[in-house]
Amino acid sequence: MTITEPQQPKTDLPGDGHMWFMVLGDLIIFGAYFIVYMVQRAMAPAAYLQAQQHLSITIGVLNTLVLLTSSWFVAQAVRATATADYERAIRLICGGGACGVLFIAIKAYEWTTKITHGYTTSNEFFMFYYMLTGVHVFHVALGILILGIVVRELRNTRRRRLSMVEQGATYWHMVDLLWLVIFGLLYVMR
Amino acid sequence: MTTAARSITYAWIVLCAITIGSWWLAPGHSTHAATPSVAITTAVVLLGFVKGRLVIQYFMAVNTAPRWLKLATDAWLFTLWAAVLAIYLY
Repeated sequence: MTITEPQQPKTDLPGDGHMWFMVLGDLIIFGAYFIVYMVQRAMAPAAYLQAQQHLSITIGVLNTLVLLTSSWFVAQAVRATATADYERAIRLICGGGACGVLFIAIKAYEWTTKITHGYTTSNEFFMFYYMLTGVHVFHVALGILILGIVVRELRNTRRRRLSMVEQGATYWHMVDLLWLVIFGLLYVMR
Repeated sequence: MTTAARSITYAWIVLCAITIGSWWLAPGHSTHAATPSVAITTAVVLLGFVKGRLVIQYFMAVNTAPRWLKLATDAWLFTLWAAVLAIYLY
């Protein structure tokens, strides 16, 4: 009779340490922005709530669904790469990137309507709104560029590798994660 | 479909369901003036924590990552939402 060792669950760092260092750093910086926003909001909760009412929750929900769907595409692309199904991985990443472009388009429409209606940075809530969503949308644009690089590498039979796809995916999911906090704080909380 | 791929889809369904559900909680409806609500804000904090954890665990695949990364991401998530609630209630 042989005695088998209890199996340890397999652990594996998605991507590499450098990307995680950057992602954790970015999360801490955004975390500081969110805390500053909450402190400022606590000083004038009625004014903030009144200004929040001018944001369209329908657009907020729609943009969140678009970004969540983009993350689904990119996460599935990592699984497809792990099973060496590179064609499917490329299609999925393109789907994720297309959702990213759609997110920016919806955000541009939202900004345009707000500015047209006179909600500018002269209002403290809207100053935070433009700052937080502006820095975030810059991250979305950078994420789309990173996904483009991932697709280029996947098309090259000698350069395609799982860790590179995981790195791009980790960055993309961070963009999604930060948006979920912005959505909760700016659009939903009272 | 592998177990990991299926888990990603389940996480996406739950995330979308919570997001659609939060439409009714938000103050951005023009039909009536919004009033402050500790219950709604607490729900936003709890749901925000759950959503963030689903993204980290299943999309970012931290559920199979080394222990230091699980602890670091959980610490960020918990500290952030606990601070948000504490500042709101203070």
